[in-house]
Amino acid sequence: MDTSNTPPAAQTAPPAEDERVWKAGRLEPMPIRKLPDAPPSVHILGPTVFLVALGVGMGESYMWPRLVLLFGPEIRWLFLIGVSLQAVVMLEMARYAMATGESIFSGAARVFKPLMWFFFIVAIAVYIWPGHLSAGAAAFEEISGIPWVVTAVAGLILVGVIFSLAKVIYNVLENVLSLLIGALVLGTAVVAAMVGTWNDVVTTITGMFSFGYLPPEAMTAAWFPVIVGACAFAGPSGMQQMWYTLHLRDSGAGMGAHMPKVRGLRHAGEQEEMPARGFMFDTDNPAEMAKWRGWRRWVTFDALLLFWGITMLVTISFTVIAQSAVRQNPGVRDVIAGDDQEVALTAMADAVSSAGSSVLGVVFLGFIALIGLNATLGLFDSFSRGQADMTYNFVPGAKKVRMSHLYAIFLWGVIIFGILILLLGPADGPSGILDTLAFLSTFAMGAYCVTLLLVNNRMLPKPIRPKWWTNMIIGFGAVFYLGMLFYSLFAYGVVVG
Amino acid sequence: MIGRHSLELALPGASIGAAAGAMAGGLTLLAGQPTGMAALSALALSVPLGLFGGLYGVLLGHGVFRPGTFGPVGLFWMVAFPVSRLVQESLAGVGMADGVLPFLAYQAMVALGFAIGFVWLHERLMPHWLMRRAGANPEAKALLGQYIKHAQALQATRKGSRR
Repeated sequence: MDTSNTPPAAQTAPPAEDERVWKAGRLEPMPIRKLPDAPPSVHILGPTVFLVALGVGMGESYMWPRLVLLFGPEIRWLFLIGVSLQAVVMLEMARYAMATGESIFSGAARVFKPLMWFFFIVAIAVYIWPGHLSAGAAAFEEISGIPWVVTAVAGLILVGVIFSLAKVIYNVLENVLSLLIGALVLGTAVVAAMVGTWNDVVTTITGMFSFGYLPPEAMTAAWFPVIVGACAFAGPSGMQQMWYTLHLRDSGAGMGAHMPKVRGLRHAGEQEEMPARGFMFDTDNPAEMAKWRGWRRWVTFDALLLFWGITMLVTISFTVIAQSAVRQNPGVRDVIAGDDQEVALTAMADAVSSAGSSVLGVVFLGFIALIGLNATLGLFDSFSRGQADMTYNFVPGAKKVRMSHLYAIFLWGVIIFGILILLLGPADGPSGILDTLAFLSTFAMGAYCVTLLLVNNRMLPKPIRPKWWTNMIIGFGAVFYLGMLFYSLFAYGVVVG
Repeated sequence: MIGRHSLELALPGASIGAAAGAMAGGLTLLAGQPTGMAALSALALSVPLGLFGGLYGVLLGHGVFRPGTFGPVGLFWMVAFPVSRLVQESLAGVGMADGVLPFLAYQAMVALGFAIGFVWLHERLMPHWLMRRAGANPEAKALLGQYIKHAQALQATRKGSRR
C-alpha cells in the first residue's frame, strides 16, 4: 500500500511524456503531464465561490450570533479557531486536487477503498435530508406568509430544472452563486453600517482572542453540544470541503485542466469521457515546481481573502446586528436562549426590526432565506457531483453510464426524496433535522482531517507533500472535531444538541 | 474633462452603489419615519455611493485600478464609504451617538466588507457591459481588451495540454 518509496516519475523508455507514471496506492497509476501555468495570484473569482456559498450559512447568521448573545463576545475565540482551521483544511484539500486533478474521494480510495465508501455512505446519511432548505424557507414564510413547505418544494424543483438544463453546470452555478453572494455581502455591510457602532465591532473582535474562555453555563448538557455543533458550522461544515476538490477540478485548477467538465442532463450527449484516474506533473522539474508554487499562491489568496475574509465579515456583521438588537430590547435574550430555532430567528428579526425598522427585520429574514437558497444550490450540486464521482470511478460497470447521467440520477434522487420527506416525513419542523446534521457533520470533519493526512503524505510525491506544521494543524483539527464530539457524548451523554 | 465614453464605463459601478444605497431607504421606510424621510435617507446614501461606484469604473478605464485586484479597491472604499455614510447621516440621520471619529472608524471597517461585495459584483457585470459598448466606445474596447487578456491567461491554463 505504501507508495512513499515509489520513484516520483519512473522513467521508462523514450522521453515521451506519456510513458511516465506516478504510482499512488493500488489504483491505476497517474500519467505524467504538464502542469498548466498558474493564473495571477491576486484575483477575485474562482471555485472558492462554492466554498463561501456553502460556508456562509446557519453557523454564521444564526448559531454564532446566538452564542454571542448568550455567553458574550468572548465565546468567539472558538469561531476564530474553527474558521482558521477550515482555511488550512481548504489549502490541503486543494493540494491533492490541484496536483492530481482527482477528487479527495479518489485520494481516499487510493489509500484504502473502504474509507471512500465510508464517505459515500455518510454523504447519503447526512445530506439527503432537506434540512438546510427548511430554515431558509421558514424565514421566507415569515416575510411572505407562503407556507415553508410550498417554498421548499418549489425551490427543490427549481434547482433540479436549472441544473438539468445547464450546458456546463459549473459555469451556471458560479455565475448564480457569485451574484447571490455579492448581494449578500453588500447588503450585510450596509445593514451593519446602519445599525452597529464602533463598540460592537471592538467587542466582537477582541472577543475572538479570549482563548480558553468557557463560562460554566456553556459546560452543561444543554449547551455544550450546541457549542460543538456551532464549531462544526464555523465555515464550511460536514463534507463541503471534500466537494470543494470537485469544484477545483471542474474549474480547471492545476492538473484539473486535464479533466473534462460535468454537463447538465440536456447536454449530456456532449460529455467527454471521464478518465478513470488523474494525472501528476513532473515534480523533479524545477520549471514545473515553479508553476506549482504559483498555483499554491493562487489558492492561498482564495483561502485568506475570499474564504476567511468573507466568512469573518458576514459573521461579524450578523453578530453586530444581533448585539444592537438586544441593546434595544433586552428581553430578546431569553427568547433566543430557547431551543426553537424558528422562534429564535423570528425573535432576532423582531429585535432587529425594533432596532432599525420593521423592514430591517424583513431584510434580516431575507438574508436568512438567501443563505438558505445559496446553500441549497451549492449542496445539491456538490452532493450529486461527489456521489456521481465515486459511483463512476468505483462501482463496477458504472462507466457504461455517462458522468452527466449519474450526476442527474443523484440530483433528481435527492430532490424527489427531499420532496417526499417534506410532504410526508417527520414534520417536526426544520430544527430537528438541522441539529442531527450538525452532529453527523462533525464526525465527517474529524474523519476527513485523518483522510487528508493519509492522502497528502502518502499519495503525493515527496516534493509537494505538506510541511510538518501543516500536518500538525490538520492533526489538531482531527482532535478538535472528534475530541469535542466524543467529550460531548461521554461527559454529557448527549449525542444531538 | 470626463467625456461620454468615460461616463459609460461608470454605469455598472454606479448602479451597484446606488442599489446598495437604496436598501437604506427600505431600512428606514417603516421605522415610524414618514415616507419622505425614508426616501431622503435612501437618496442620501444612494447618490454618494452611486457616484463613488461610478468613479471607480472611470478610474478603472483610465488604468488607475487593474481589473480584479482587491487591495486598491479596499482602500478606495475605506475613504468613499465613510464619506457617503457621513453625507447620509448629516442629511437624513438620527445623529451619531458616539461622535464623528468613532463613527467614521466604524464605517471604514465596514467599508472593507462593502468593498469585497462591490468588486465581486462589479467584476461580474462590467465585462458584459463592456461587450455591449465596445463597438461604439474606444475606452470600453480598450478596457475589454484588458479583461480578455486576463481571461485568456486563465483560459490558457485551463486548456493547458489537454489529453
